[in-house]
Amino acid sequence: NDHHGNGIMTIMYSRDFLLKFAEKCTELPKGFEIPSDMAGALMVSSFNTPHESY
Amino acid sequence: AKDMAPPPPPVKHPLEHSWTFWFDNPSVKNKQPQAAWGSSIRPVYTFSTVEDFWSVYNNINQPSKLAVGADFHCFKYKIEPKWEDPVCANGGKWTMTFPKGKSDTCWLHTLLAMIGEQFDYGDEICGAVVNVRLRQDKIALWTKNAANKAAQESIGRQWKEFLDYNDSIGFIFHEDAKKLDKAAKNQYTV
Repeated sequence: NDHHGNGIMTIMYSRDFLLKFAEKCTELPKGFEIPSDMAGALMVSSFNTPHESY
Repeated sequence: AKDMAPPPPPVKHPLEHSWTFWFDNPSVKNKQPQAAWGSSIRPVYTFSTVEDFWSVYNNINQPSKLAVGADFHCFKYKIEPKWEDPVCANGGKWTMTFPKGKSDTCWLHTLLAMIGEQFDYGDEICGAVVNVRLRQDKIALWTKNAANKAAQESIGRQWKEFLDYNDSIGFIFHEDAKKLDKAAKNQYTV
């Protein structure tokens, strides 16, 4: 879909299409790192807590 | 099944652009009040697929959970969310305001419209920022060529349409904001 008019195909996704992936991607990407002073303010705490396996 | 190859990694959906989340942490800002403006803004993560977007988005606080004073940005890779950035320098921004804590859905829909390339003038877009303040939240959409009225008005109209936002919104040139601060006037309104 050349909607930017530059002759090059643009990768477009509708909101509904993007929303289908929301629940499938809950784990942080591999290699995600964040300075500790930022983590407390920015990260969802329940996800940020390491989970013990039993 | 002795020569079975490992299963290939799942194919992710590529985005047209790579995007970087930036965070301006109010607790850092407050500790260093003498620090130059912009020096506490730091990149958090750069993503270029649909899956990586959600993996980070699902683990970070939505605007309603961020502390007062926080600024959270999503800008195209290599564009810094600053007036001084060469790509932003001649640009400007559309701004929407929301009652305190009521910007979460519109922030998500703004991000999805940007990364899904839903704007006719998508090349004009630098990124978006949500500002969490004491009495209200603000979302701004930064664009490149402020003087291109047709492009900016198209972006402003489409943005309102995507978000079902009915109030009128204004576009301020960064150049005016730099000189006049809060006295800068809207150059365009839709």
